[in-house]
Amino acid sequence: MPGPVMPDQAIGTSMRNKDRISAFLTLLPSIILIGIFVYGFIGNTFWISLSDWGGAAALAENPVKSYVGFANYLDLFTGFLGGGFRQDLVNAVFYSVMLLAGAIGIGLILAMLLDNKPRGESFFRTVFLYPMSLSFIVTGTIWRWMLAPQGGVNILPTYVGLPPLRFPWLSSTDAILLFNWQNLLPIALYLVSLVLIIWGLWRLKNNPAKALVLLIPGVVVGGSVWLWGDLLPQALFMEEIHGFNTATFGIIMATIWQYSGYTMALYLAGFTGISQDLRDAAMLDGASTAKYYRYIALPMVKPITISAIIILSHISLKMFDLIFAMTGPDNGQTGHPALNMYLTTFRANDFARGAAIAIILFIIAATFIIPYMISSYRQRRSR
Amino acid sequence: MAQVELRDVVKKFGSTQVVHGTNLTIEDNEFIVLVGPSGCGKSTILRMIAGLESVSGGEIRIADKPINEVDPVDRNVAMVFQNYALYPHMTVFDNMAFSLKMAGDSKQEILRKVNEAAEILELSPYLNRKPAELSGGQRQRVAMGRAIVRQPSVFLFDEPLSNLDAQLRTQMRMELKKLHLKMKTTTIYVTHDQVEAMTLADKIVILKDGFIQQVGSPVEVFERPANRFVAGFIGNPPINMLPGVFHREGESSSVTMGALTLPVPEARNLQDNQRVLVGIRPDAIKAGDSVTRFPKEWRFTVDVVVAEILGGQSLLEFTAGKNTMIAELEGRILARQGESMELGFDLNRLLFFDPETELALY
Repeated sequence: MPGPVMPDQAIGTSMRNKDRISAFLTLLPSIILIGIFVYGFIGNTFWISLSDWGGAAALAENPVKSYVGFANYLDLFTGFLGGGFRQDLVNAVFYSVMLLAGAIGIGLILAMLLDNKPRGESFFRTVFLYPMSLSFIVTGTIWRWMLAPQGGVNILPTYVGLPPLRFPWLSSTDAILLFNWQNLLPIALYLVSLVLIIWGLWRLKNNPAKALVLLIPGVVVGGSVWLWGDLLPQALFMEEIHGFNTATFGIIMATIWQYSGYTMALYLAGFTGISQDLRDAAMLDGASTAKYYRYIALPMVKPITISAIIILSHISLKMFDLIFAMTGPDNGQTGHPALNMYLTTFRANDFARGAAIAIILFIIAATFIIPYMISSYRQRRSR
Repeated sequence: MAQVELRDVVKKFGSTQVVHGTNLTIEDNEFIVLVGPSGCGKSTILRMIAGLESVSGGEIRIADKPINEVDPVDRNVAMVFQNYALYPHMTVFDNMAFSLKMAGDSKQEILRKVNEAAEILELSPYLNRKPAELSGGQRQRVAMGRAIVRQPSVFLFDEPLSNLDAQLRTQMRMELKKLHLKMKTTTIYVTHDQVEAMTLADKIVILKDGFIQQVGSPVEVFERPANRFVAGFIGNPPINMLPGVFHREGESSSVTMGALTLPVPEARNLQDNQRVLVGIRPDAIKAGDSVTRFPKEWRFTVDVVVAEILGGQSLLEFTAGKNTMIAELEGRILARQGESMELGFDLNRLLFFDPETELALY
């Protein structure tokens, strides 16, 4: 209830104002620097991406930059020459999904094994975490050797008397899970429908009402695309096949190798933070070790899983040096938008299009990170 | 409902032995309290019964079946932990339902059992809350609810009240007692608080350094402690323990402590001139009107050191024949330092201990 302002309250307010002013002044230099060098440059990049800076006179002293709207973006997604970028984007999606599944899965399994305090636990913890300390260039070089066609991994079977593998890890030109970029829209809608249906089926047991809210739209969307999918606009004027390039598999393996120790350390920290009493209680309640992790430990380390997803997905989106070290920048099969951005900008001098790729990557990363930041900010406030 | 039996139970951690061949029988429906200072092995014994620690030697039997090698969940015991060990990400309902879910009970069955337990513990309004949204006392009740729903044959409590404030602790103590009277389940309760032990137990087990010192009813361990440790551990304020010499002259006997000589009314199996430790409970000393009920030679004039008034009672520190003692007196004693005062000693309640073996001499 707002009453008359007491003298000491007034002092409190003025003190608080003083605190605010000094805090603001202290932060001001970094606010200015971040304002210019982070947000200012993002803005500038965005402006360049809307221009036509590039081509023959790109490096002229005063290059002509005219505003062309979203033409660069449109070109990248639907243009005749954007096919390379589109494959890179597809690569990035597969790369992210497989890195997340692999690094989180393996990290989690390792963490669960070490959480049960086997003999030599601290030794193994160091061993598993060690790859983290290498730079991507080193990891890339090591794995390039290991994945060489006539050495490393391919000759492993010969040690047990089997014929050597012949898989060209980094130079394969095969692709699987093929789809036509023209059908991007129906494929996206099918995916949405699939997610809704699976989610709905999963909820069906506990909350049938909510499950129906998910299942019905899922079936409607899927069914509509099935029946009238031909009526949807095509993303491209010609057929263009994309898919998962098997040559990227080696790169994914290397990244998983480097990062599963890191996710292990994250999870292990989370697991060790759970009190022994809780584990004892679960044991007395009849939970087996598997059920303890399923029902108690994993739900309790959910914030760690979310952090791991955020960290790994933005790493995979920005991946550059590992691919550069393993296959070089020019191997189309193992391309990545970040590499493409570099080549477009600094080899082709097409600054506007490079900027557009940068902004696309920025937006994809932001869609991962912003919800995370909002939710963690909310949690902190509610605490 | 089950009897619990410990036969020569030993526990070693590495080369350190912490429980040394414990023998104990806990009868069906009994409320037994294991009490002792920290490190006495009481929690270890409890955890061995629960199956959270392995047994290094001997045998534990529940309902006449050896359970050394039985999984904790199959022992049909439920445990309440000191910090409650509630699952923080689950609601109160889910916390209480977890063991039933693990056991594969049907949904209706789980709902019925949890609601029943919530009713008993007055938790029904909070079933959808998370532990963080509950007060300490409510969390404590959820922890008990989680134990009750399983309808175990033995309840194990590991210092369940020590995280509560004093007032709540007293209240929960009574609720616990009532709960036991209602459920009549064999209960093993570990505490370092002798007041909890005295008020809750049918039978108290006093432990020190991994050895049982005495097993008995609260009154028994208070009035007839087996040794000096038990006498000192049980009772608050602690017993007055003074070195003295026993004298026997024909029919009458007495004990001399410095300049104070007390007649010993009962025939004791002690030698003339035997050195003893004399124990006098603070509540065996009286002041005011009740002094007149004692024979004349049981009354002494003492010098007041300090008097503390605790509401309806007073603690009086005094010297008698150069011995400093504490008395727990009824009413408010207003006395200053150096003042003289007449006190009556209930000499029937004198306790004697051997100064070497520290065992009680009766």
